[in-house]
Amino acid sequence: MDQQKALLFGAAAAVRLFLFTAFPSLPSLLAGRVEVSTPVTSFKRLQEGLFLYVHNVSPYDGGVYHQAPLLLPLFSLLPNPSHYPFATNLLYTAVDLLGAHALMLVADSGQSITTRLSKSSRKDLRWNSAAVAASFLFNPFTLAACIARSTSALTNLFVLLALAKASQGASITFILSLSIASYLSMHPLLLFPPLLILCYDVRASKSKVAPSPLSFTIVHAVALVVTLCGLLYVSALLMGSWEFLSATYGVRLLLPDLTPNVGLWWYFFTEMFDSFREFFLGVFWLHVVSYMPGLTIRLRKQPLYVATTLTGIFAVFTPYPSIADAALYLSLVPLFRHLFPLMRYSFLASAVVLYASFLGPTFYHLWIYAGSGNANFFYAITLVWSLGFSIIIGDSLYAVLRDELDVERPELRGKEVARI
Amino acid sequence: MPLAEGASAPVTSQSSSTTSSAAGATSDSNAQSSTRQPPPETKESIWVRRLVVLSFWLVVLLLGLPVWWKTTAIYRAELPLQDMTDWADDKVCKPVFPLRVAVEASLPLQDAHNLLRTTQHAIDDLNEFSAHHLRLILAESHNSANASQEVVSDGTRVTTDDEDIALAVRLIPVETGTTPRAHLQPYAPTLDVYYTPNQIPTPSSTGSPLASFIAQELHKIFEEEQALLSYLLSTTSTAYSGKTKPKTKTLSAEKTAEIERQFTRALKYASTYHLTFSLFSPTATPSGWEIESVLKHYVSPLLESFSAISNFTVDTQVQLYAEFSPSIHRPEHDESLNAWTLRKEDLSGFINAAEWPLSPSIGTGPTVNFVLYVPGQDQSPLLIKENGGNSWLIPQWGGVVILNPPLQDEGKQASTILTEDALAPAMHAFSNQLLSLLGLPQTPESLPLKLSTLKRVRLASLFFSASSTMGALARLTNALPSIPIPDAVAQSIDSTTKHLQEACNHLHEGRFQGALEHARIAEAEAEKAFFERSMVGQVYFPDEHKVAVYLPLLGPVAVPLLMAGLKEIKSLLKRS
Repeated sequence: MDQQKALLFGAAAAVRLFLFTAFPSLPSLLAGRVEVSTPVTSFKRLQEGLFLYVHNVSPYDGGVYHQAPLLLPLFSLLPNPSHYPFATNLLYTAVDLLGAHALMLVADSGQSITTRLSKSSRKDLRWNSAAVAASFLFNPFTLAACIARSTSALTNLFVLLALAKASQGASITFILSLSIASYLSMHPLLLFPPLLILCYDVRASKSKVAPSPLSFTIVHAVALVVTLCGLLYVSALLMGSWEFLSATYGVRLLLPDLTPNVGLWWYFFTEMFDSFREFFLGVFWLHVVSYMPGLTIRLRKQPLYVATTLTGIFAVFTPYPSIADAALYLSLVPLFRHLFPLMRYSFLASAVVLYASFLGPTFYHLWIYAGSGNANFFYAITLVWSLGFSIIIGDSLYAVLRDELDVERPELRGKEVARI
Repeated sequence: MPLAEGASAPVTSQSSSTTSSAAGATSDSNAQSSTRQPPPETKESIWVRRLVVLSFWLVVLLLGLPVWWKTTAIYRAELPLQDMTDWADDKVCKPVFPLRVAVEASLPLQDAHNLLRTTQHAIDDLNEFSAHHLRLILAESHNSANASQEVVSDGTRVTTDDEDIALAVRLIPVETGTTPRAHLQPYAPTLDVYYTPNQIPTPSSTGSPLASFIAQELHKIFEEEQALLSYLLSTTSTAYSGKTKPKTKTLSAEKTAEIERQFTRALKYASTYHLTFSLFSPTATPSGWEIESVLKHYVSPLLESFSAISNFTVDTQVQLYAEFSPSIHRPEHDESLNAWTLRKEDLSGFINAAEWPLSPSIGTGPTVNFVLYVPGQDQSPLLIKENGGNSWLIPQWGGVVILNPPLQDEGKQASTILTEDALAPAMHAFSNQLLSLLGLPQTPESLPLKLSTLKRVRLASLFFSASSTMGALARLTNALPSIPIPDAVAQSIDSTTKHLQEACNHLHEGRFQGALEHARIAEAEAEKAFFERSMVGQVYFPDEHKVAVYLPLLGPVAVPLLMAGLKEIKSLLKRS
């Protein structure tokens, strides 16, 4: 097992370092692609912020940098990536490997199949953790995000760590990684309720006496708030003012930068009447938020599944999604190998996603460089991309409900069902 | 919304035979499924479903509604609507034009006062226009040294420093000639009245020929101004066109038409005008003109005299090989005149807008264009067919002069530079055109009086324009409740009312220069408020269109939400 893991990680690291060194122009090429780098995760913008920060100018002055302030001291420790890219490349490779490690921990915990309150009837159907990690490490989307050095790789790492720690019942590290993930990109905060339930379930099943749910919730919520405030306070100390809030979270909330991306927001808001812009910003954000309580209540018995589905929803419905967010969701789906036989549209969904991933760059090229297409071309492809992910999300939801039914009423197993 | 169905509806089964059967067997399968009812839902799953539906509704109600309320609320700054309407209806301030006329007479004080009183009576009798009246005051120039007046020792000229004196009447006793007779000085606001001493009215008499003569003269001088002002009042001000109509001077139809022509010809008032003098020639000559010295001689003095009303900037240009517009008829050769002629109806198309670089506006103010066209030798002289003239005015745009080069002897080269002398006639034409473009009235003959008349006319039009703009804004605000009103508009309105009030005060005291300044600011502020950009964005957005904005996205979301909510409420009611 260890040998297998070492082999896998070694191969993944080798592939990354090979791509970094054999194609020195590849990182900056990918970093310029709208599918990979969004205004809030772009490495080029990070470098701009870094330059200003190193020269003692507020990094948010230029209106280019929209990422968390604490990334700056971290990256200023590394040598300048335009001259000595190796250290940065190594950092991103390590980030991916750590993420894969966290994913293996999640897979090993078995929480995707057997939780405290539910037990899938297909529990024997599962991939081992190395296979799950391989599907993360060798996913082309993950690779692209890593080579482009998008900072969403860091967010993904901390989300995976939070999942891993929650599925181990390790409260402190869980809260810490979730708060860092939220601090970096805000929307992972919505993962807190399902992961809290996950953490609670694991703790309850480990110990003889289940802790009181109320005090457990309060303690963890307070801890999360305290860590988040601590991170923000340190950022404010570092920046000398609170203006970074509007430049980072304000940008994510209010969408001032309408650079195209794979999401649905940018086109909608370029077309929006100015007077309704704020209203629809509210509607779109509430749409993202509204899934969380419903899913958490309905699938209370399978919190890890809820968290996975939420990452999928983030990959489709947040304002600045990139393929890195899609990679996170796609790498979590193999944890639910036992649901695959129940999914009805897996061929359609994978075909749609593949279709969008090939035609997306083509249509973007037609629009921006060749000039023979227009924005609608690219937007249509992002719609198809989002449709593909919606199919996966909806289909897997159907599968998980079907699986639940099989547990409740084993006599119906294998029979056709209809909703009434 | 993949979730709405998945999460809010439970999955239950039917017998395998029913669902796998073909569509034709539906009646059969219905019968079967009615015999084999699915087992009742467990209490737990019912409650989970209710909670899920409730959670969606809570998000909508607790977060969605406040967001909707907050983001679609239209900010409307408080406007003094009643005040604004009052201003537009002239309820706050009736503009009056009390003109002070200083009478200067080397008479005993008693006689002078007497003359003044009788003349004033005569003037008041003649005046039909209550808003505009003349008040005679005695300039005690001979008796006391009034600081504001200065008597030049030789007695030929009296300059009054006080700008608020509209006109000085100088009574000069003479022995010869027909008396009384009057002479209006062309370059000073002074009316010389010659009389014989026996024409001074006695204290007892109520009328005198001298008094009525002076009154007649004054009335004649200010007749056009009264006509202009009453025209303005009747067209722009609602109060005067309504019940109070008898107060206005009634104008004859032809007079109204004449004034209308003047107003349409003149440019809209601006605090700064930009003058462009352009020389166009279809050939390579003349390639230069002594425009600078010409402007200094002919135009600058004129502009200086207007400085109290508007400012001017000037630029010039020379364009060679610039043919006039090709869309009009080519000039025809007229044997009788030995000249090339342009038809009158083609004059409006003469300007070659496509090729001549006459920019519509440079800087802030409107541009007044003066085009000097020098035809080529082969088409010279070029005249207007109907009247043989060579210049015309384009209303609200500028003027054109065709300058025919002097006929050259054969073989001798035409001079390439237009000298000052050659330009003089053109400059006279331009000056006249500029005066009528600026709206300077035709009478009286004295330039300072014309200017002060123009000042009052401009002041009145600015004043009415500002107050009617405010009224329009007030009506707009009432008529369109959907437009937002930013704070900037409220501030502009405040400033407008303040400056209008100031202008009104100045008017009542007869200080027209100050009133003009305030009216100018008021008008600019009122325009700024009315044309505020963020307001008009919503004007064409009626409420019906909001349905089109909300429905496509929110409708599909709302339907499952509503249906699920209704279903849950129904089942709750049934159970209880």
